[in-house]
Amino acid sequence: MFRNKKKKPEKELTEPIINMEEILAEIEKLKSNLKNARGQERINTLNALGSLYFKIEEIDEAIFYYETSLNENNALGKAYTDLMKLYNIKRRQAAESKDEEATRIYMHKIDGLMKLSKDVIRGRG
Amino acid sequence: MAVLNFIINNILTQAAIIIALIACLGLILQKKPVGTVVSGTLKTMLGFMVLSAGSAVIVSSLIYFGDIFKAAFGLDGIVASIEGINGQAMNELGLGSEIAITLAGIFIVNVIIARFTKFKYIFLTGQALLWEATLCVVFAYYCGLRGVPLILAGSVVGGFFATMMPAFAQPIVKQITGSEDIALGHLCTIGYMFTALVAKLTGKNSKSTEEIKLPKKLEFMQDTYLSVMVVMIPLYMIAAGFAGPEVCAEYCGNTNFMVHAFLQAMQFVVGVYVLMSGVRMLLAEIVPAFQGISMKLVPNSVPALDCPVLFPYAPNAVIFGFIFTTIGSIIGMFLTPLFGLPMVLPGVLSNFFAGGTAGIFANKVGGRRGAIIGCIAHGIFITFLPAMLSPMLADIGFIATTCTDVDTVVTAFVFMLFKSIVAIF
Repeated sequence: MFRNKKKKPEKELTEPIINMEEILAEIEKLKSNLKNARGQERINTLNALGSLYFKIEEIDEAIFYYETSLNENNALGKAYTDLMKLYNIKRRQAAESKDEEATRIYMHKIDGLMKLSKDVIRGRG
Repeated sequence: MAVLNFIINNILTQAAIIIALIACLGLILQKKPVGTVVSGTLKTMLGFMVLSAGSAVIVSSLIYFGDIFKAAFGLDGIVASIEGINGQAMNELGLGSEIAITLAGIFIVNVIIARFTKFKYIFLTGQALLWEATLCVVFAYYCGLRGVPLILAGSVVGGFFATMMPAFAQPIVKQITGSEDIALGHLCTIGYMFTALVAKLTGKNSKSTEEIKLPKKLEFMQDTYLSVMVVMIPLYMIAAGFAGPEVCAEYCGNTNFMVHAFLQAMQFVVGVYVLMSGVRMLLAEIVPAFQGISMKLVPNSVPALDCPVLFPYAPNAVIFGFIFTTIGSIIGMFLTPLFGLPMVLPGVLSNFFAGGTAGIFANKVGGRRGAIIGCIAHGIFITFLPAMLSPMLADIGFIATTCTDVDTVVTAFVFMLFKSIVAIF
């Protein structure tokens, strides 16, 4: 009922072409901008760094920048939605490698994100 | 033998002890240190007792409310409160042990289905599972089942809902989140899909709610209990005002009847506060144990998480959903008596969480027009279904209360369907 009748090519199937060199150069540029960035500009830079690291599958780095962004500004944007995906990736990796402690840590982080979501919507963020 | 009989008759019949033993087992399976096992077990038992205390407060307030509402309007007025249903089932109806064991049974069935079928959803919202276990046990009991068959039936039906409801919602959740990694674990799914259907039919080419500039927060919802109070105080006082001082005199003694109504409404809120503190303590050890075990047994699982996981994808749609579901539930409140059903007084918390999530579903498939029409329909839908269930709940012994989460209502109807089919043969 809610699926499109015409089978469209799935987005996930079309692998985006990643130019690693360009992305790394962009990351370096953003990192140097970050030193002097303040306010919303700093948040945007942190989110851009998180997003680029996510694109090149540097999960821990992506988590670091997104977590910093959310710690400095509780907002329900891309930092939040990407972090949920990143934590879930880490949770799955931990479960597959039977690392119970890491599984617990990432489940706890996912719970924390949901609490943040409730709080921000209710104006307590 | 005498010792064994003593244990069976005096200890294992106590719901608090059964629940504590389940938590203890979970902690041992996770290989926690002895100190953690002991403290976790005792805290779980304490949680159950706090829950019981909260339930007793809610029941005394609801007895008063049910009576004065009937005297005031000549109608049965019932409060939509799944917490109240759970509290009464666990304590006043004495089904606490069965509910606790069924909760564990639902976990197990969920893991088995996720392990061996393509439906990899592991339901991680502990409170929702407790409500589901409650309805499964209450209606299995109502259908005449007792003991092991009751627990088995409850676990299988509850486990099926816990796995299949996230699967049912997943086509839309995937559109919202843009990935298959996360599912929705909130037992209001049938309401969400109904809303999405209405929104899809009515919201063609409508723009997204997220293109409007709205306040991104609902400040009056900042405190859960304050928001319950804001709704319950006027309801109690209006009912008392219409009932008049003579009817209320029976309850209020020397206190002014309006002041007494105000205090009774506060008592209801206190009961919900205490009960929910108990629920949190009760689940604090059991849910992480289940999370750890299930993630180990089904490493490629898709976690089905509570509804706030979707809020960041469309914060405006949450506000739309809350407002228009509330409007719909008020319309539904006045419509149900026309069909010979009791008047269901809207639950502000379910309108916020279920309404907000319904708003996100509706917006995704029908934009802002779909969200408005779909959520009004959702409000009516989540009022009618619990109203239809309430005569059965009253028959079982519940006082002036009905369920909120519609999947739990449908669970009850599934049991009644089984009962009707069995009766044919």
